[in-house]
Amino acid sequence: MEKTPPLSLERRLSQPAGKNVSRRPLPWGRWTMRSIALTYLTVMLIIPLLVILQDGLRAGLSGLWAQVSNPIAWHALKLTLWTAAVMTIINTGMGALTAYVLVRYEFPGKSLLNSVVDLPLSIPTLVTGVMLVVLFGPQQALGVWLKQKLGLSVIFAPPGIILALLFITFPFVVRAIQPVLMSLDRTQEDAAATLGANAWTIFRRITLPPLILPMASGALLSFARAIGEFGSIVIVAGNIPMYSQTAAVYVLGEVESENRLGASAVSVVMLAIAFCLMMIVDAFQRRSRSNLS
Amino acid sequence: MSIILEHLTKRYDGHPVVNNVSLEVGDGEFFVLLGSSGSGKTTILSLIAGLTHADEGRILLHGRDVTHLPTQQRRVGFVFQNYALFQYMTVAENIEFGLSIRKIPAAERKRRRDELLELVGLAGLGDRMPRQLSGGQQQRVALARALAYRPDVLLLDEPLGALDAKIRIELRRSLKSIQRQLGIATIFVTHDQEEAFDLADRVGIMSFGRLIEVGAPEDLYQRPRTEFVASFLGSANLLLGNVNSQGVTVGPLHFPIEQEILETGQERRVQVLFRPEDVALAPEPKALDCPRLGQAEVEEVSFGGAYERLRLRLPPIPNVRPISPPSPFGTKSILVDATRSPEQAARFPLRPGAKAWVGVHRIHALAHPGLSFLIITDGSLRAQAAIELGGQIARLAHARVTLLGCGQKEEVMQEHLQEARKQLGSGLASLEARLSPEPVAAAITKAVEQQPFDLIVLGFNPQEDIPLAEQILQVGEHHLLLIPRPQAPPSHALICVARGEPGKDDVLFAGRLVRHLGADAALLSVLSGNDPDAKRRAERFLEDGIQSLALLGVPAQAIVHQGQPVEVIAQEVKRGGYDLLVMGAPLAGQKGQISLSGVVEQALNTINDRATLIVRSHFIGAQIYPLIIES
Repeated sequence: MEKTPPLSLERRLSQPAGKNVSRRPLPWGRWTMRSIALTYLTVMLIIPLLVILQDGLRAGLSGLWAQVSNPIAWHALKLTLWTAAVMTIINTGMGALTAYVLVRYEFPGKSLLNSVVDLPLSIPTLVTGVMLVVLFGPQQALGVWLKQKLGLSVIFAPPGIILALLFITFPFVVRAIQPVLMSLDRTQEDAAATLGANAWTIFRRITLPPLILPMASGALLSFARAIGEFGSIVIVAGNIPMYSQTAAVYVLGEVESENRLGASAVSVVMLAIAFCLMMIVDAFQRRSRSNLS
Repeated sequence: MSIILEHLTKRYDGHPVVNNVSLEVGDGEFFVLLGSSGSGKTTILSLIAGLTHADEGRILLHGRDVTHLPTQQRRVGFVFQNYALFQYMTVAENIEFGLSIRKIPAAERKRRRDELLELVGLAGLGDRMPRQLSGGQQQRVALARALAYRPDVLLLDEPLGALDAKIRIELRRSLKSIQRQLGIATIFVTHDQEEAFDLADRVGIMSFGRLIEVGAPEDLYQRPRTEFVASFLGSANLLLGNVNSQGVTVGPLHFPIEQEILETGQERRVQVLFRPEDVALAPEPKALDCPRLGQAEVEEVSFGGAYERLRLRLPPIPNVRPISPPSPFGTKSILVDATRSPEQAARFPLRPGAKAWVGVHRIHALAHPGLSFLIITDGSLRAQAAIELGGQIARLAHARVTLLGCGQKEEVMQEHLQEARKQLGSGLASLEARLSPEPVAAAITKAVEQQPFDLIVLGFNPQEDIPLAEQILQVGEHHLLLIPRPQAPPSHALICVARGEPGKDDVLFAGRLVRHLGADAALLSVLSGNDPDAKRRAERFLEDGIQSLALLGVPAQAIVHQGQPVEVIAQEVKRGGYDLLVMGAPLAGQKGQISLSGVVEQALNTINDRATLIVRSHFIGAQIYPLIIES
């Protein structure tokens, strides 16, 4: 019988070390996992997105533009953007302050407050709308008072939209800043104090710089979230074209009146805005992480 | 003086982390605070810098009282262990920070910055960001930043702690030369003894918030005044011997007096320190050119680089008690550490198990503080019994006594204390009487915070005073002697031991006290079940205890019984006529609270006609500040 010749020393050496000891796992597992994840992503996210894009561009760019520049649609888009912008400015400031207080100060009820911050994420937005109507409605004490003393109507008007958006997006800025603030090295602030810096200078030059990026990404996130808000606004804003009708509500109207092209066109614009914002947020977050490490 | 600290105290949650620290640091002096972690050294720096505020005391920098000034106005340069560089600024901006705050013109800032970069050896790296530098370089930047605005004093908080060994030594050298160049008064905090000795003009040793001793490195090493410093610095052989007008005696060792250790002319106990390098080893007693301690067996030999380290085991020597290195539980022998140079090792090679004669070239004697008692009195009959018995035990044990009067109106107390002083009378090593207007528990807490005690003596009513006893055990690492009624000093002690590490502490402290009383002891272990293995383990543990008591000079016997602990103890007390009951305090709960409920409480209630000693093991783990022996 012929025996298999023993491996020459050279050949044995040329084999990568450990190859005989540990066999590589079969690639099946990894490929299956990847393909399941990617298929899911495609079916659930990418195909609907492509379909709406295709639908919006059905009549070409000029067709899309004609739909978007229709005065009612155009006003709805503008209203959506400016209310979201006002909300974002307020929310960034107040969210940063809330995060700072939650991280840096001890007070009774702190942990309760900390969990209340996330509440808007789990309350149905319709309920948010109802709450605001109950609080500020034209028949309610506060609403009447505001109308009489300040001439300000909240419900069925843009201020109501801003209030609803503020409520819904409250967690975004807080939760973006909080972890960064918690991981900050306090001794840098102590060092600045020993060098003679007062509290304001320490905040401005030491504490704030690492918070800028998380603040910006939190702000953009809340802006993006606000653009698509529907449930609370449909109750609060009253859906008055050219006055208090936002883009999302406009899309519903178009769908109901069977103008699919109008609905898709405005949807595509909203989508484009959201997509750009997400790209920026992602870039910010990556930079913020690399700065901290 | 550049830095003066006066009676500085800082408490967290009521516990002093810095406890009555006074210190003066001269102009241009390099002062090192040395202590283990949690000893309060970093807190002292924070107090000086104003990053935390003192509860009591004053801080003066160059004669300026800064105690109540904010950090910004104190003019201290601070270097942190983790560098604390401003991550969003360049190296240059970091260094210029203190200058830009002070509105120094840009040109002047640049000049100063370049000067400092050169001083710390980083010239040309001003444009880098901190995270582009190595740890050692970052710490150099931090030093430059702290020095840039010419602060009055420099505070360094373990600045080399996070660095590799090699870089640490390199940076240590540059730090020292920079400090010398600038002549700035500096406090440097570290737990590294070598670092402290290398850098310091003077060193201060800290432990549990107290500044124990201050002195030049060599003085502290060769001539410490306290047991703590002697054993904290390097390794120390510390034995308990005697001193009289002829000199210092430790068993067969005899040395003429080298310092004024003997104030009264009377013979008394002293602690005798000799360092491992002061130990001589020879094959024959005649070959030793110094007083000899005896023949020892080599237990361990290890290679220490420039020298060889040995641990030797000596047979017990009458009237000599080892303090350091501590004898392991269950052995009678005395351990001695020695180091030898390679030449000495080559001339007389030693392996574990070999025999060698041990001689000592040089000793340093330090006062033996002995035990310190705190006797509590509120003028009641029980307190009277406590004063009487506590006083007698203190006299026998040469213990220092503090008498604390509390829980009564001041005038009544004043009179009572006078009386008690008279009653305690002469024969005490020292007697101090204190009056506190506060309730008993609070008064004891305050007293213990001022000065730790070994034993607190309390007149005791088991029906009322259990919570008080628990509180007392919680506020410090002292033991507690409870005296329910007048009695003569104990002559038979029953030590009820639980097995395990805390049980060892029970035996050792009880032995230390009982030895002074000339009493004998019985070690009692109560088994709940009928497990022969458990019985064997208990017997072995008690046998070890008897050996350890023998080293202290206390005759002892072992008793193992089976049954209900309290019943067995009560029966045994009756049968053997014991007049002192010793029990270990139970382990502390999660928040550090000590509860006596269970066996201890039951025993206190059942056996309520004789003194009970509750020993607080250092394993108990309550959050307290432990015992420190001070001269």
